Amino acid sequence: MQEKENLAPHIEDINRALNEKLSEEQIEEELRTYTERYGVPLGSAKRSIVKKYDGDPQELYISTDKKIEDMEGDEQGLNLKCRVVSIDDKEIEVDDQPKQIWYGILGDDTGTIPYTLWEAKSIDMEKGDTIKIENAYVNMWNEKPQVNIGSKASVKKIDEDEVPQFERQPQKLSLKDLREDMRDLEITARVMSIEEKTVNTQDGEEKQLYSGVMADETGKAQFSAWHDFGISEDDVLKVKGGYVRSWRGVPQYSFDENADVQFLDDDELPNKEELQQTSAYTISDLAKRGGAVDAIVEAVMIDIKSGSGLIFRCPECNRVIQKGACRVHGKVDGKADLRVKGILDDGTGALTVVINRELTEDILGYDIDRAMDIAKDEMNQEVIRDDIEEKLIAQPLKVRGNVTSDDYGLMLIADEVDRQSIDVEKEAREMLDEVRV
Amino acid sequence: MSMINREVAWRVFASEFNESTLEIEGTEERAPSYLVTPLGAKINRLYAVGVLTEKENIGDPEEPMWRARVTDQTGTFFVSAGQYQPEVTSTLTNMEPPIFVAVVGKANTYKPDDETFLTSIRAEIIKEVSEEQRDNWIIEAARSLKNRLDVAMEASKMDEVSVEELVELGFDENLAEGFKQASEHYDSIDFNRYERMLEDSLRYVLPEYESKSIEDIEQESEDERDEDLEAFILDVIADFEERENLENGVDYERVKEKVMEEKEITQEDFEESVNNLRSDGKLYEPVLGNLKRID
Ligand SMILES: [Zn+2]
Repeated sequence: MQEKENLAPHIEDINRALNEKLSEEQIEEELRTYTERYGVPLGSAKRSIVKKYDGDPQELYISTDKKIEDMEGDEQGLNLKCRVVSIDDKEIEVDDQPKQIWYGILGDDTGTIPYTLWEAKSIDMEKGDTIKIENAYVNMWNEKPQVNIGSKASVKKIDEDEVPQFERQPQKLSLKDLREDMRDLEITARVMSIEEKTVNTQDGEEKQLYSGVMADETGKAQFSAWHDFGISEDDVLKVKGGYVRSWRGVPQYSFDENADVQFLDDDELPNKEELQQTSAYTISDLAKRGGAVDAIVEAVMIDIKSGSGLIFRCPECNRVIQKGACRVHGKVDGKADLRVKGILDDGTGALTVVINRELTEDILGYDIDRAMDIAKDEMNQEVIRDDIEEKLIAQPLKVRGNVTSDDYGLMLIADEVDRQSIDVEKEAREMLDEVRV
Repeated sequence: MSMINREVAWRVFASEFNESTLEIEGTEERAPSYLVTPLGAKINRLYAVGVLTEKENIGDPEEPMWRARVTDQTGTFFVSAGQYQPEVTSTLTNMEPPIFVAVVGKANTYKPDDETFLTSIRAEIIKEVSEEQRDNWIIEAARSLKNRLDVAMEASKMDEVSVEELVELGFDENLAEGFKQASEHYDSIDFNRYERMLEDSLRYVLPEYESKSIEDIEQESEDERDEDLEAFILDVIADFEERENLENGVDYERVKEKVMEEKEITQEDFEESVNNLRSDGKLYEPVLGNLKRID
């Protein structure tokens, strides 16, 4: 780019700064050596040449346009096209006299930089203006470059189109690498499930939310779309410009109308059934992550907690009641329910698993009405818990569901519970083969 | 995140568990303590499956306190259950050995003297299980043992055991730490023996190595225990003889008292063992009521 730039005005500029110490040919040769052979930016090259021949770089007038991300902190005679991101004023003391200065942030399509405006008189700039600054200088302030608009500088408004919009390249990430508070992300994933909800925002406004689970080859994540992109189940999406929020250790990918959502070909990712299997974790991994969406855990049930089996809930608030009384609503006619609260342990770690009524009925092999009959016959509701212990303790299980964490550790809410039958013979032979090597 | 994670239940074979002599007390208040095995399993809680071969009520009939033996193919877990485990106690009351059982509990240690370090499980859960579930457990315990042997193998290549390097190789940090602590405490660990234990255990579940019946296991466990007890009685007698320079043997009651103090046995067990020793020609009575060894 610099080769194409017309060097004549710059040669003239150097010539003036050096009081015509060199010939124009010599200056051009020097300038080309710096910029073409050594790739030094034009502005720096000019400054270096002037210094080399004992001139004062401050005498240079014309600089090249520079982008914010290229600022090094020692630029002189800087020209910059940018936007005024913010402007504030403050009073300082110069020679015991109060003096008003302005400061804030400037931005272009490559980044932002702080600035100070030392002379206000002839300069008129407001937040949101697109401007061209000429003959400013850059120094280091708090170890960062800062633009100084001093008495030699000028500022003029220019057309908005002259500075492209700021656009950072989003970071491409796999779902397993999503962590709280990340932003400007790009992910490619298949929609495993989606549902539409109406939610109330903080401003009391009603908004449509499209949320569900998405998966790639590395894992799954919940997502929330705050705009109707027309997404449906099984779509393969590339979403640019989303951010991550976390709820109880489970990362959630959120994006709104500013995001770029592209629908990709179906064969960009494995099918749903294959992706379903991507989220098998050891419990130790889950503890490190803090949680996971739609995780698969293979472990042995080693304890069934009290509050498992046949329980009764308050019809008002759904709390589990003890001896016919809710601790909020007092004596109530409890609704029967079945559940399991147990400890799954896979030898790497342990977590609490909660299994709902439907799945508990499958485990027991009878429904809640039958459970009530059995408890009545025995005059003891604990017999159902005993039966659950009988069926689950020491039993290897494969459990699928969301894993969350709080101060009390990990909790898995089961969506699916399967008894694992382990091929002991096969496992033993495989291990023996490995040992014998 | 300051999460209280429940202590994992280690799957270890009885032999490795019982060879442990390194205890690490939690430094902070309410911090758990651990028993570290020679291969670095840092055990607070464990999950064991084996044959319940015997049980003994050392409490009273109203408030039983059970001591039980649960045997796997490598050795015997000593299991206890008392007043703080009412469910375990009542389950044990109704169990009739021999049966396959699963036990979940806390590692417990007992040091009757400077040289003896006894390990046991304080049971939180005990349940009768199927042979299939026992086999599942052997696979899990074997995998866990193999993982520790892999650590040992990698660590043997290092000049000094480095937790960091082991973690970089993909091992769990907790295990790497346990291994380092074990390597600093135990001298000359016989890794070959653990490798054989692993192979034997895996063969144990294969059809061509017909697995032993529950009665065989019970008998073996009893034989092994009897032999242990007989050797111990001879040691006690030798000890008295040497210390007190006794030439006409040691008083029967003193031997009985000392042995019963250290071993969880009944008076009948003691008498039976002494009779065995006499009929095997290892003991005699030089004076009535005194026991002396025949060298
Ligand atoms: Zn209520």
